Parts: sequence; structure tokens; C-alpha cells
Amino acid sequence: MSVENRTAPTALVPQDRFLGSLYGRNIRAVIARGLKATWGTNWSIMVSGFVEPVLYLVAMGIGLGALVGTVVGPGGQEMEYANFIAPALLAVSAMNGAVYDSTMNVFFKLNYARLYEGMLSTPLGPLDVAMGEIFLALLRGAMYATGFTAVMGAMGLITSPWALLMIPAAVVIAFGFASFGMAVTSYMKTFQQLDWVNMIMLPMFLLSATFYPLSVYPEAVQSVIQALPLWHGVELLRQISVGIFSWGTAGHLLYFVVMIVLGLTLTTNRLRALFLK
Amino acid sequence: MTSPEPTGTAVRSHEVLGLRSPLTPLETAAKARRFGSFYYADMWIRRMRGYQWTVLMTAVGTPLVYLLGMGTGLAVLIDGNTNAGFPGAGGSTVSYLVFLGPALVATAALMVSSEENTYTIMGGFKWHRTYYGPNASPLSSGQIALGHVMGLTVRILFTTVIYYLFLLAFGAVEQPATGWLMVFTALLAGLAFGMPLMAFSATLKEDKGQFAMVQRFIVMPLFLFSGTFFPLDSLPLAVRWIGWVSPLWHSTELGRVLSYGHPEPAVMTAVHVVYLLVLAVGGLVLARRNFTRRLDG
Repeated sequence: MSVENRTAPTALVPQDRFLGSLYGRNIRAVIARGLKATWGTNWSIMVSGFVEPVLYLVAMGIGLGALVGTVVGPGGQEMEYANFIAPALLAVSAMNGAVYDSTMNVFFKLNYARLYEGMLSTPLGPLDVAMGEIFLALLRGAMYATGFTAVMGAMGLITSPWALLMIPAAVVIAFGFASFGMAVTSYMKTFQQLDWVNMIMLPMFLLSATFYPLSVYPEAVQSVIQALPLWHGVELLRQISVGIFSWGTAGHLLYFVVMIVLGLTLTTNRLRALFLK
Repeated sequence: MTSPEPTGTAVRSHEVLGLRSPLTPLETAAKARRFGSFYYADMWIRRMRGYQWTVLMTAVGTPLVYLLGMGTGLAVLIDGNTNAGFPGAGGSTVSYLVFLGPALVATAALMVSSEENTYTIMGGFKWHRTYYGPNASPLSSGQIALGHVMGLTVRILFTTVIYYLFLLAFGAVEQPATGWLMVFTALLAGLAFGMPLMAFSATLKEDKGQFAMVQRFIVMPLFLFSGTFFPLDSLPLAVRWIGWVSPLWHSTELGRVLSYGHPEPAVMTAVHVVYLLVLAVGGLVLARRNFTRRLDG
């Protein structure tokens, strides 16, 4: 007759674990909670989120395309305007989705719902919370990117099989923005400060060579634009969409890898500073 | 026991001191009824100071970014295309920047209006309950609604005037003599869209994401398919109707006539004005009715 051992496992000694008290190896719990909450309340809003870039694509690609004609794309080849802006709009949508999720959404959970306070009083660490939240944002981003790419295909805007790689690349872009967004949100105190986020995103959206090639700018402005993350995202997806790669492609990817590492470090530190004093 | 009659002495002492006599409650109420909307508008504008930086930033930052990005950046591409060129007064053509200007001003008015007529309205009934204080005073529900609209008008005008000044600075107005009137045609777009939205928001009891849906399925399509960034004719007929019903398109066309003499039959101009007025006035009537039902009911 064996007696079942009901004692809790004693392996929860933070200092023996990888990353110590920062990481409780349970990102799953955060993700499961997020999925359940989303499905219960606002799945229709979530799903319809992919409509916006599609509207932009239809309006700008057809309407503006009639005015513009062809544009010089990656590798110096002429391309239709709709083909030119479609990958850029996907990059913008990846940025918007990631930033809204990691600012507005997180701000509410942080300051009003007090969700993270509860999570961090369990064995979960700040890195679990950060990674879990970011994973949810990325899942949503991947869903939108898939939908958008399908619409591109339906509109006949996909010319190369490489274009399918736009979906994982859009997720990488979203990861870069999401990891930073959460850190920035942790500094915010009022709802109005969220408007500053918009005031950074709108210029990036309009000026990052989204609707026209970088060459229309004077040299000095070009280098400012090239420092912005969205420009790297736009260029990356544009190159992937036609399957023309260069060393620049690797450079764009590297930009986001660095952004992700920096952003995650900052976010984890901020969550620890806020909750694990 | 009868209370002593104070008015007699009060009047006398005030006459001696040369001051006006205090108002009786009935007089105060009558005054509130006469100027009630202004009282509420005053409160609304003061409340806006809580987010004055947002107001200023959207009024100054947005035009700057759009004019730089679309008005100069995209314009290089479009003006460089020989097929482009937008018909202006007397057979002349105008540049893309001039074509775009009136659309941007009207868009700004629409955006401010959609922001102020969604959560603010619902919050006034549900979360912040800003309407219930004034409603307990002699102000009528209709005056609260009207005061709201007056405050909104002030904010829209503030935004559109600044936008117009930016257009002047960028050289985007060909006929400044009539061009400045686009400040008001843009306001009309803001009200024509905002009043029906206000009426809708006043009926909402629960936030189930209706506003996100309004933003996604009404505001965005109106913004993109109203001949804002390109003439409506470039679109296939299947989506061109969105422009026809859109207050933004009607207002933009009016702005273009005023700004650079966009050729258009006078009948169409009249249609634009009448359409916008009908939407704005009809929406306001509905909004006042809904406010009254909700506050008095």
C-alpha cells in the first residue's frame, strides 16, 4: 500500500533556477489566461483588427496607384504601386498591433486591473509575465499577417513564393516593437500619456518610405529615416515580397534582433522594479 | 410660524450701497434656462484643459506630419508623373499639395469629432456621469446636449484654423481670399458626422466594443474612400458610393472649390452644403431627443 506523496515539490528555490527569481518557467500560465480572457470578451474586435490594413491596401493601392503608376522597388526594378505599398502596410500593421497591445492593453492591466501584481505574487517572475504578454501580442500579429497575405494573394499582388516568408518576418517586427512598448508603458502614469505613443507612431507611419521610395528625400533626411525601426521593417518585408535579398536584408533583421534583446531586458527590469522591491 | 420677509431689507441696504440686489431663485433659474447651453459649453471647454496637451499636439503635430509626408513626400512621386495634375480654375492644373490641402483639414475635423462623440458621451452617462450634475440644475437635457456641441465646435475650429495656417505656410492654398472658408466647411464635416454619432453614443448602455467597430468599419472607410488622397473617380463604382454618402467627401469638394477653384457645377456645390446641413441638424435633433430620453426618463 503506497501512500501518495501530497507534499509540494521543494524544487522552488529561485537561486538554483536559470535567471533566478526573474523567471518561473511558466509562461504557459500567462498565455492560457490571456487566451481565455480574449475569447470570453472581445474576440470579434480581435478578429476584425485585420480589416484596417486591408482597407488601406484597397484604397491606396487602387486609388492612389492610378495616380502614381509604377515605382522603383528593391533591386532597382519597376513595380506596380499596389505591389510597392502592400508589404509596407503589413509592416505598419505589425507595428501598430504590437504597440497598441503592449501600451494601451498593458497600461490598463498594469494600473486598473492590477493583473500583473496578482501574477507576480505567485511563483511567476517578471520575465514570465513579459514573455507571456508579448507572445499573445505576437499570436494576434501572426493571425493578422496571415490574413493580410491571403488578401494580397487574392488581389494578385504576390509575385514570388518568397512572399510567404513575410508572415514570420512580420512577427519578428512585431516582437521588436512589443518588447519595447511594454517597457515604455511601465513609465506611464496617465491615460493622456498614451497619446504621445500615437505621436511617435503617426510620423513613423507616414515618413518611413511607406508610400513612396526613400529617394524622394534629401540625403540628410534619408539618414534620419533610416535610423527608425519602421523603415527597417518596411524594407525587410518589401525585399521578401519580391524575393530579392542583399546584405541589407540581414542588416534589417539584425536591427530587430538587437531591438528585441534590449526591449526584453528593459521590460523585465522595469517589472521587477515595479513589483519585486 | 412664518419666516421673516428678507427681500425688503436686502433691497434697501443694496440701494444704499449702490449694489445690485441679489437674484431670487426664480430669477437664477430663468437665467440658467436662457443661457444654459453656454454654461455647459463653458464647463466642457474648461474640462478640456485636463488634456490640453493632447488637443494642442493633435492640432499642431498632425498637420505637420501629414503635410510633410503626403504633401511633400508623396507629392514628388505624383507630380513627377506626367498623367497627374488636378483640374483647377479656368482650365489650369494644380499640384498634389494644393489638391490634398482641403481634404486634410476636413479629415482633421472628422477625427476630432469622432473622438469627442464616442467615449466622452458614453462616459458622461455611464462612467463619469458628467451630465447628471447639470441635469439636477435648471438646465434642460437639450441644453446639455447643445452645450456639448458648442464646446466641440470650439475645439474643431481651433484645430481647423491651425491646420489652415499650416496650409498657408506650405503654400497649399491658391485662392486665400475664399480659401479661409474651408475652416468652416471642414467644421461642417465634423458636425455632419459627429451629430449622428453623438445621438448613437447617447443610447449606449454597455461598452461591448461598439466604438472600436465604429472606428474600424465607419471612420476608417470614410477616411480612405472619400477622395481624400486621390479623386473619387479613380475608384471602381463598387466602392465609390462610400464617398457619395460620406460627409468627408462633400466637405472636401467644397473646400477644393474654395481653395483653388476646383471646377464643379453650382448645383453640386449646393448639394454638398444641403447634404452636410441635413446630416448635422438631423443628428443634433436626434441627439437632443436621446439625451432627453436618457436624462429625464
